[in-house]
Amino acid sequence: MALSAHGINALLPAGFEGRIFVRQSVGEEISRPVAQFATFPIPQGIGDFGGNTDTNLGPSDIFAVLFEYGPESVGKALFSVEGIPSGLSTKDFLPYIVRPGIGGSLGIQRFFTVSGRPFMFYARLGSLEQQAILVQRVNQLLANVTIEPLSASAATGGAPTTTTTNPTPATTSTTEIPPPPTTTTTTP
Amino acid sequence: MALRARGATWPCDLGNPWLSEFLCAYYWGNIGPRESHGARGDVVALAVVLTVVVALLTILVAGLLRSHADILRALHSLGAGVGDPVTTEAPGPVPIAMSPPLPGERNSISVFDLSGSTPSGDGIALSVAGADQLTLIAFLSSGCTSCAGIWKAMVQTPEELPQNVRLVVATKGPEFESPPEVAARASGASFPVVMSTEAWGDYEVPGAPFFVLVDGRRNRRIGEGIANTFPQVLDLVRRAEREIPDAGKEDATQSRAFALGLDGPERESANDAELIRAGILPGDPSLYPKSHDEVFGVAKFPSPSDGTP
Repeated sequence: MALSAHGINALLPAGFEGRIFVRQSVGEEISRPVAQFATFPIPQGIGDFGGNTDTNLGPSDIFAVLFEYGPESVGKALFSVEGIPSGLSTKDFLPYIVRPGIGGSLGIQRFFTVSGRPFMFYARLGSLEQQAILVQRVNQLLANVTIEPLSASAATGGAPTTTTTNPTPATTSTTEIPPPPTTTTTTP
Repeated sequence: MALRARGATWPCDLGNPWLSEFLCAYYWGNIGPRESHGARGDVVALAVVLTVVVALLTILVAGLLRSHADILRALHSLGAGVGDPVTTEAPGPVPIAMSPPLPGERNSISVFDLSGSTPSGDGIALSVAGADQLTLIAFLSSGCTSCAGIWKAMVQTPEELPQNVRLVVATKGPEFESPPEVAARASGASFPVVMSTEAWGDYEVPGAPFFVLVDGRRNRRIGEGIANTFPQVLDLVRRAEREIPDAGKEDATQSRAFALGLDGPERESANDAELIRAGILPGDPSLYPKSHDEVFGVAKFPSPSDGTP
């Protein structure tokens, strides 16, 4: 199943669903694309990193996020790694990386730059017992993700595509605070 | 020569002056007995008229040839070329859909994931096959009158659907639908909206409003149909739910074909494949039994008098 928007393309493995969106900006903030992938129905009002929901990960579930930062982060040490993470192992997933919200037992967070766009990849796994299989599925997911360079207008804060509204028109603002490596791009 | 023998003045003296002059000029030309400038003019006029008619007919024939060539080209592109010098194989039957599929021809159990865009232009992909729940896909349009009430009811009272049913609305893609209008209809909705023309094709949606209920665990459609009001939709869902076999009972009460999702055209195809694997091809005599014995093989069963168990 192909999913594509805002210069992010994913060929989802079986069992995954996803969405790629740009939340509506509040005030002077500049919203950037967020891609969410999950092995369960993604709740409508879920936060960027899995907060603001009553849904809990099942033992065999995966929730993964690609979160884009602003162009001012390009070249910073945190984003020095080039390319989408690949070949992740069970050692890369740690319990204390799991954020509050949707649950899960193990998490991973990786910062990188690809096609001149700084990203953070965040994923959480449903259970420790099935981590070997789940990590394989995460690798399978990442292997099928490609990111295109943004156009000049989008790079300076313009919309990457034609719209910059909520992923679902009905959803109230549920923007979460991403880990602040340099400059945050969402509302606190 | 025989006509000339009738008299040098024939047909210049038929009585009707105009007809006589016309035929005389046509027959004798400028060597006839009644040569005149008027007759010669008529001949020229006639020649002009005939030339125009011939030209028109030429254009008509050329147009017909062109049309014929277009038809042949179209047939060739469909794989049924006539007189194609390249291929030596006889053209086979080419299925051409001239109308929407009949209910019996529809693929009514296959399940497809949904992928498209949201009314706001974002990307969305929903997993339907293999989902651990029922998914109700409502194929709606922003413009249809019947859909308006359903949009409203779904936005306001989605909790009326059973807990284990996930509601998804699918409209046609942005090329056929107005995203702002769809966004306005879905304003306040707690369900995802996918704009995907491909989904309409996958599920062979005849028109809006149309509803499909998918059992993700069994990976098959368990109900589909048209409903003009939300209560009718709820009724369709409840009826379809009642027909879902319990997990433990399924194998005992349902056929293997049902358990495998083989129903309708799929079941027929599976039967054909099974027969071909067994070496029974179309036209095989065993497909046309002439007696009950051939069907049931009575002679092969031991009779009670045999004394065998």
